[in-house]
Amino acid sequence: MKVSRKRKGSSEIPTASTSDIAFLLIIFFMATTKFDIKEGLSMVLPPAAKEESTVVKLSQKDMTRIIITSDGEIMFNEENTGLFNQTVFDKKVRELLNINSKMIFSIKTDRSAKYNEMIKVLDRLKAAGAEKISLSTN
Amino acid sequence: MAKIELKKRKVVIPESSMADIAFLLLLFFMVSTVFVQEKVFWVERIRWPYADSIQKIPRNHTSTVYIKQDDTVLIDDVPYDIEDIESMKIAGVMQRKLNNDANMIVCFRTDRDTKYGIMSDVMRQLQDIGALRVTFETQKKTE
Repeated sequence: MKVSRKRKGSSEIPTASTSDIAFLLIIFFMATTKFDIKEGLSMVLPPAAKEESTVVKLSQKDMTRIIITSDGEIMFNEENTGLFNQTVFDKKVRELLNINSKMIFSIKTDRSAKYNEMIKVLDRLKAAGAEKISLSTN
Repeated sequence: MAKIELKKRKVVIPESSMADIAFLLLLFFMVSTVFVQEKVFWVERIRWPYADSIQKIPRNHTSTVYIKQDDTVLIDDVPYDIEDIESMKIAGVMQRKLNNDANMIVCFRTDRDTKYGIMSDVMRQLQDIGALRVTFETQKKTE
């Protein structure tokens, strides 16, 4: 009896889908890549006063001193408003800006206060639209 | 007159090189990607402060200052300790950076529970050398 030979199948690797695989890889990397974008609160520090002539004297009504104590309490010109409370703080800043839209806010933070407290105050001042903010170093 | 028969041609866009193009793109992006080399173990241990009114910071002029809770400072991946701050070493380092790039922005990546004293010391040294543009890196508040 004659046994017919099996027909030889083609031994090529199918390449039709390689482009799909490559595009899939590209799309995967595009979708999963996370760019490290820096975001934050920008400021320009006042220049260091070296000579007497560079020191500008300001009247009390143009400037508000915000003092952050070591416990995180906020003081507006010696007036203690207690621990940071956003609604109280915003209201106070708005009042001050209504009186003088060019009010200068000077933030003085105690050395042992937390950095987070200073950021909170700076953030709310910027959000309220205060343009002149200075940081006192001590 | 003899009838001229127009041969209908089959129009096919060759797809055989698609894979090559795609892999070329893949390789191009792989080769041209530059990874930011920062000490990841530091970044992970920093707990960010949160803020609302934040802006994007241009990366090409920044010099990053990490300040951790235990008062150690890392300026562009070089560590400094409290004695270096007291001996004004940081001012010297930043002065060199400022000479290379006059538009330098000092970017503070500080843990939110750090004591403000060390920030104050570093900022005063920056003021002395005239590096006045600073940013405090924060994350957007999500509520």
